[in-house]
Amino acid sequence: MTVVFLLSVPVLLLGAALTLALRSNLARAMAALASQATATTLVLVSLLPTLRGDAALEVVWPWPSPIHSIAFRVDALGAFFLAWSLPMTFLGTLYAVGYLRPYFHRGRNGGSHFALLNLVCLSFVLIYSVQNSLVFLLGWEIAAVAAWLLVIWDYGNQKIRFAGFNYLVSTHIGLFVLVAAFMLLHSETHSMDFASFGQFLSRPSPLRGTIFLLLGVSFALKSAFFPFHTWLPRAHSAAPAHVSALMSGVIHKAGLFAFLRFTLLMGKPEEWMGWSVLSFGLLSAFFGILYTTTQRDLKRLLGYSSTENVGIAAIGFGVGYLGWAWGVPSLAICGFAGGLLHLLNHAFFKCLLFYAAGSVYRATHIIDIERLGGLAKRMPLSATLFLIGALAIAALPPLNGFVSEFLVYSALLSGSAPTGQANILLIAFAAVLAFVGAVSALSMTRAFGLTFLGSPRDAKVDVSEEAPASMWAPMVLHALGAVALGLVPQLALGAISPTLKLFSLGHDLSGVQAAVAPLALANPLLAGALASSAGLAWYLGRRAKRSATWGCGYTATSPRMQYTGSSFSEQFVRLFEAFLPSVRRERLPDEAFPRHASHLGTHHFDAVERRMFEMLGQAEDLIAHASERIPEQSRFAFAAGLLALVIIGALVLGGAGP
Amino acid sequence: MTFAWFANFAALLVMPIVLMGVIGRVKSLWSGRKGPPILQLAFDLQRLARKRPTYSTTTTLLFRVAPHLFLVTALCSGAIAPLLGSRPIASFPFDFVWFAYVWAFGRVAVMLAALDVGSSFEGMGAAREAVFSSILEPALFLVMGALSFLGGHRTLHEISTLHLQAGAPPAVWVLAVASLLIVLQVETSRMPVDDPSTHLELTMVHEVMVLDHSGPDLAAIQFGSATKFFVGSSIIATLLNPWAGSPGWLSGAVNLILCVVIAALLGTVESLVARLKLRAVPQYIAVALACGGVALLATIWRTGASR
Repeated sequence: MTVVFLLSVPVLLLGAALTLALRSNLARAMAALASQATATTLVLVSLLPTLRGDAALEVVWPWPSPIHSIAFRVDALGAFFLAWSLPMTFLGTLYAVGYLRPYFHRGRNGGSHFALLNLVCLSFVLIYSVQNSLVFLLGWEIAAVAAWLLVIWDYGNQKIRFAGFNYLVSTHIGLFVLVAAFMLLHSETHSMDFASFGQFLSRPSPLRGTIFLLLGVSFALKSAFFPFHTWLPRAHSAAPAHVSALMSGVIHKAGLFAFLRFTLLMGKPEEWMGWSVLSFGLLSAFFGILYTTTQRDLKRLLGYSSTENVGIAAIGFGVGYLGWAWGVPSLAICGFAGGLLHLLNHAFFKCLLFYAAGSVYRATHIIDIERLGGLAKRMPLSATLFLIGALAIAALPPLNGFVSEFLVYSALLSGSAPTGQANILLIAFAAVLAFVGAVSALSMTRAFGLTFLGSPRDAKVDVSEEAPASMWAPMVLHALGAVALGLVPQLALGAISPTLKLFSLGHDLSGVQAAVAPLALANPLLAGALASSAGLAWYLGRRAKRSATWGCGYTATSPRMQYTGSSFSEQFVRLFEAFLPSVRRERLPDEAFPRHASHLGTHHFDAVERRMFEMLGQAEDLIAHASERIPEQSRFAFAAGLLALVIIGALVLGGAGP
Repeated sequence: MTFAWFANFAALLVMPIVLMGVIGRVKSLWSGRKGPPILQLAFDLQRLARKRPTYSTTTTLLFRVAPHLFLVTALCSGAIAPLLGSRPIASFPFDFVWFAYVWAFGRVAVMLAALDVGSSFEGMGAAREAVFSSILEPALFLVMGALSFLGGHRTLHEISTLHLQAGAPPAVWVLAVASLLIVLQVETSRMPVDDPSTHLELTMVHEVMVLDHSGPDLAAIQFGSATKFFVGSSIIATLLNPWAGSPGWLSGAVNLILCVVIAALLGTVESLVARLKLRAVPQYIAVALACGGVALLATIWRTGASR
């Protein structure tokens, strides 16, 4: 079986080579799709026993020094991630065929793009299976560079190149931190293997805490947690829709995978780790969702919502950590179950939303929701699918987002923490999560309502065509997944339970099954009631009259008078002004007969990004200021030089020892 | 399908109409009028249901469907609320989370329908509703979390029968009731948050979202709002009901009477207080939030530092 699994690597590489060699774009796409389908089948077939909860797949390859050997081990965790990452990347590639068709008609060569999508699959196979830190870093880097090259598909546009470089720099800062953590581990264990890392990490020590923080920062950068999210909205709005979808839904889940992998290596965590993961997740969810309310760019909005959703997953993991640290298995299982399920659910509905946003962009060439509107009539299929995704991401029952958030809530509200204070804190966190849920409903209503409902806001925007089959087929599959996981929560729980067993400390999963079981009845009943009432409404509305919208007696209403995105969020933004800063550019009429045209514009910017650049600018000033003073005093310069010399000497001499 | 089940079901269908009638009657009495009959809403609904709806040319199918989805969510939430102060039609652990999100579903449906007509009035109403609910939802979770932690219960009806717990601090109980009353006012768009009888579109919240609905759709929305009112007030009534939780007709009767009292109380508030400025509404809701937060902190008085 290990041979079958590893066979997927040459298949993917062969596919990538073929996409570069073949002559027509269609053939290149077919080569990529065929190789990905083959690789996915190979991987899934070989992992079938593991996915059902049997033993992990293991193989050790001897390798020349200094690596000695490379161990591959796909346990339930890796198998779970592979089981949806690879098929979803396949669907993304399928979507790309339709989405990029206008570019192909203009003679653009799509070979390298498809080859890169194959490499993304390859990086999954590596990251999710390998037990050697060097090869892990290799897979990590393949994913990062491939994602960067995929983002800058429209490289002619300077803004897109900037977004791409921004991403590249950010992801490499994360890489440095990861390398630092691995170097620390290597210096302690003299090994590159995860197994020996695990032996070191399972003993509490101050160094373990440092390594935990380093790893946490690196994985948080990968998964775009607040405040490391600044690259994400830019990259997501610049990339083609399928790339945004895959990055947000699939590729950046590698950060959370790595977090879970090291959690398993580490074993029982300390309490402060749990609280830090929990509060980090809460911060991400809170700020991520706040930022979505002000966005005008639909894909940027969805990008910020990724920060929110990984935050919700991290809240689940944080509670899981706490449960583990306190020795309350029911809490640990519930928390990890909520987090894991939310990852899967997020992959389903976020890809769906990005795909639907992509079909809007493809039809209108506009992604600014202030200029869209009324698309539901022109693109009914995309509108329906976007609506399903929006309801799911707002965690509304009976769809899948609710199931995972329900599990997170039931962990937070369980009252099973050992101290009263801890319980009260967890309940307060649940209230913040409720706020996040309500704001996400606001944000998604705004995004869907302004884009698809009402009448077109800008008459200059014309809608070319509804998405072709290669685009809507992936969307429909994702939407079906979102509905199925919501209506049949046992299905979702079944998918994660082998993984969950790794986190359950040997306890059975009956608690979490019992928590979800009522939803298996409540959600379908609610769905049935909603569907039948919708049918009734449709029946009752047959004999309706048609008339213009009520204009309060005013008869000359125009689409320009509709509520806009900024006006929709204006009151909310004013409440949270402290977190949602904006710049206001205005030139108001100055006299009775103004000679200049006046204008007024408000623009919301990312406070973290702005502050980061400000601090970098100020730090430069500070250093320049300090360095100006030093040479004035020659004694200082001499002393500093001497000090540096002593330190270097000490390091050289110390390093020469054993 | 026991008698209690049928009693709950019947109450869910009848009481919303009665409670709206009580509010109307109380308001008329305060203003020195005779007032409409108690069952006025039933007559209105009957009249509306017979009418032929009119749809704006801008709208899509969503606009037709949304009012009925709203009604269904209100009725479904009634299935797990302790309408008669004892076991509801259905209940499961953490059903109050489901309850809150089902209400959110109905709200989103109505907001989307409001955006569907492409009118600035209705967009305005939807925006206001969304903002208010975003501050309201945490208040509900704080109260429910505090009560659930205090009693160690996990279902909505067990949580609401708090008084049975020996030594429950009265502060928690008072704050929870105060917070839930504000939640009820906001969710069902009563004064001082929203004026259901105003005639100026610019000052409305909930009413402005449904300006374009007519006929059976409007009936669904009106009945849905009334149902939400009954469901919400039944939770508060159960908190106040000294016999809550005990099977038998006494707890049910007391609960219904308490619902009527709450309706009369809110009707009185509506008659004596003017609607708040829209900018002050978030502050008013923040009072509910603060009550919830203090209630949560106050649970520690009973539970002590460690439990």
